Amino acid sequence: MESEHHEKSSFWKKNVKSVAGRPSPKRDAKDVKKNPGSTSFQDFQASVSDAWDLDDDEFCVISGLENTKISKKVAHSAALNVLNSHRNTTESDSSLDKKSSKKTNNGPETNKTSRIPGPGRPKPILRINSDQESVENRLERFQILLENSTDLHELCGLSWSGVPAKVRGITWRLLSGYLPMNMERRNQVLERKRKDYWSLVEKYYYVEHDETNRDIQHQINIDVPRMNPSIPLFQQKTVQVMFERILFIWSIRHPASGYVQGINDLVTPFYIVFLQEYLKDDEPFEKCFVDQLSEEQRRIVEADSFWCLSKFLDSIQDNYVFAQIGIQKKVLQLEELIKRVDETLHKHLKEHNVSYLQFSFRWLNNLLTRELPLRCTIRLWDTYLAENDCFATFQLYVCAAFLLYWKDQLMQQHDFQGLLMLLQNLPTQAWTSSEISLMVAEAYKLKVIFADAPNHLLSNNSSDN
Amino acid sequence: MSSKDDEYDYLFKVVLIGDSGVGKSNLLSRFTRNEFNLESKSTIGVEFATRSIQVDGKTIKAQIWDTAGQERYRAITAAYYRGAVGALLVYDIAKHLTYENVERWLRELRDHADQNIVIMLVGNKSDLRHLRAVLTEEAKSFAERNGLSFIETSALDSTNVDMAFQNILTEIYRIVSQKQIRDPPEGDVIRPERVEPINIQPSTTSDGVRKQCCQ
Repeated sequence: MESEHHEKSSFWKKNVKSVAGRPSPKRDAKDVKKNPGSTSFQDFQASVSDAWDLDDDEFCVISGLENTKISKKVAHSAALNVLNSHRNTTESDSSLDKKSSKKTNNGPETNKTSRIPGPGRPKPILRINSDQESVENRLERFQILLENSTDLHELCGLSWSGVPAKVRGITWRLLSGYLPMNMERRNQVLERKRKDYWSLVEKYYYVEHDETNRDIQHQINIDVPRMNPSIPLFQQKTVQVMFERILFIWSIRHPASGYVQGINDLVTPFYIVFLQEYLKDDEPFEKCFVDQLSEEQRRIVEADSFWCLSKFLDSIQDNYVFAQIGIQKKVLQLEELIKRVDETLHKHLKEHNVSYLQFSFRWLNNLLTRELPLRCTIRLWDTYLAENDCFATFQLYVCAAFLLYWKDQLMQQHDFQGLLMLLQNLPTQAWTSSEISLMVAEAYKLKVIFADAPNHLLSNNSSDN
Repeated sequence: MSSKDDEYDYLFKVVLIGDSGVGKSNLLSRFTRNEFNLESKSTIGVEFATRSIQVDGKTIKAQIWDTAGQERYRAITAAYYRGAVGALLVYDIAKHLTYENVERWLRELRDHADQNIVIMLVGNKSDLRHLRAVLTEEAKSFAERNGLSFIETSALDSTNVDMAFQNILTEIYRIVSQKQIRDPPEGDVIRPERVEPINIQPSTTSDGVRKQCCQ
């Protein structure tokens, strides 16, 4: 079966097809040749680090490789380079964090509990207690940071433990890499990206579709109306059409995966956050009537949701390609991780024939959006977006923390049915950002414990291959 | 563990398959919880529920796996066919395409499920009379030709939902009890090796069931 997947997926990738709104692969190849000096991926990465802001919307699109033959060796070494440079950055980041945490903790105006520097210095209990009192303080710090030319690293550190609703929109745009850090270029970039999105819509959405695209559209049209049946906002035709366009354009630009059920849920947090920028502070989005927004406002909400979704999904696109290998791998890694950190729970699940795929597939495919109330998902995504490129891995630790959270209840279940019914319907309805803060802190702890043992996730990979 | 719910004579694993949006999840929720949602969220991966019924004084516990309809999920969901002794292959009577795709689903079962799996073709949404796109007779004769049982249901108004599950579970029970294969009650999952010896004679067994349910 394994080899069958490989065959199918490689067959599929070779399927050369022009991709909507994307420069042809040939042109890409030429561009690369122009740079004979670059030898490593880091060089290449450094040389194009600003490309996102300038005029390219592509990140790591698998289908970009359609025409390019890449040997396994080259791909492997490139991947290693990325991992190494990544690891180095993370290491230096964390040492930086330590320094800055010392400094800030002694700072004059410092509220110890709310100033949590670097991606996640988990002090969950203290933070929860001070949640209320630090709200204004936090908002002020965000505002200062956002109004001056922003340091992304600092913004990530601050956002990791939650972004105030008032500045969430702009913060998410910055964290997504959609909005450039450089203040002077922001308006210009926004204007151009929004225009780009709408020309894509015009060019590809409102035209006769071929069979593949008809299938995509059909699936999207089935899923969008039933996304959030209990929230009136999502029953509005205008909203549904906005989602349909976002998903369709995303799909045709990512033919290696196309639309996969569940991706629709991943648009929601962006959409809500950007929509809320046009609502009054006390106006609940659930009942907002989108047609009351101006057309311009709706166009902005939609385009920005699209671009931020695109960026967000880039690091996890292998979750959605054929056979969903990214998810299958992470399920194995989750199992391996739980086995190590909580053998009792792991054995309990195994004794009752519960397989991790049975419950964690949805967690990974929908990034927990199905397991959490929307307000919690949004808070969780503050952290995800602050994790930036590390988010794909971090998500695994979040799932582990989420599972461990329910340990006591799971241990009380003594048969397969009881376990699975609980795992499918975990009672998170009353959750608030406090629970999310606890969960991401726990995830961070797991990540740190295993950061010194980077091979712990590999054992399954190697046996897998 | 010794609660009433856990006592059963037979445990049968049944899968729900068919195109996206035909109402698989609602058939499941109607049968197991007597619930229906006009707009229920799409199923991601697989979802699971159980219900026990009585046949000939025996308690049969049905472990029902609801699967995602989108083709992309096949690689994942195929794993869930393992050990399944029954499959409800669902289409929407108001959407002809979902009926046309039944053949593809049958191929999929042939490729991934036990060869003796009992299959029932289910035309759901029978309440949508004014929108009917698949004739009952057409589906019925297709089922006959392919050795499947057949029934039309409405998860919305409950028509035939219990009957559909009751029939397929009875059919499985007859086959299993004929062969005198008993699943040990302590097992939570039917293991494939216990299922393999079951042989189905489609001409006799499925005919019997068809007569009960397709009118």
